[in-house]
Amino acid sequence: MDVTLGIDLGMDRHEPRRVVEVFERFATANGVSDLVVQRFCLALDEILTNVISYGFEKVPKEPRIRVDFGLGNGVLEVRIRDNGRSFNPLVDAPLPDLTLPVDERPIGGLGIHLAKNLVHDISYRREQKRNCLTITQPL
Amino acid sequence: MRDRGLESVKVTTSQSGDAVIAAVSGRVDSVNATSFEQELSKAIEGGSSRLVVDCGELSYISSAGLRILLLAVKKTRAQGGGVALCQVQDHVREVLEVSGFTRIMTVRDTVEQAIESF
Repeated sequence: MDVTLGIDLGMDRHEPRRVVEVFERFATANGVSDLVVQRFCLALDEILTNVISYGFEKVPKEPRIRVDFGLGNGVLEVRIRDNGRSFNPLVDAPLPDLTLPVDERPIGGLGIHLAKNLVHDISYRREQKRNCLTITQPL
Repeated sequence: MRDRGLESVKVTTSQSGDAVIAAVSGRVDSVNATSFEQELSKAIEGGSSRLVVDCGELSYISSAGLRILLLAVKKTRAQGGGVALCQVQDHVREVLEVSGFTRIMTVRDTVEQAIESF
């Protein structure tokens, strides 16, 4: 990666917004298109909000959440790591039924669905008792 | 691109016949979704169950904002009305499409068309 930037997050609910803001400046300054920036901002927001809201429920350890951005070789990469409970958003998040009529649509449950469907490539692995989610986008 | 991170959401309401128009500007995320919900509730409680949400100045919406829109649709439908969105920016429209909301909500180009959709 030619350009990188890392941010450590606290557990405050405003933190996703702070990361989105930093990412937006980072990506825009490095020539990433507005469309990709917008999609990544939403994915970051949803995933981080989920980690902060639920990732450390009943986890008796000090939360560590870190986001790294990287740009190089025509690829944008965002990596989100946390030491919360094991959670693979690609398989552990329930799939919303988008065909339900409005009266039967549940309120909520769309955040991870949006994140997964707005970015090009997303992968998960559990390593050293941490969740590690990587989002990549060819530019 | 301008710095949008610290923007809050602003809702300005007006009346047009039977419909109430809520013009939303800024961004809606998990930080300010509650304030967005309160503003939309006020608009509906004002007496009309036909709500037009003018999204012309809405630059960003996350799932926290979608929850509020869906709640508004359910509430207004229960009162015999509904919600129509209009002037939706491309990125917000994509979010609505991916979440399946374009199937369950009326989306029109202009405020006038949204009012006529009821």
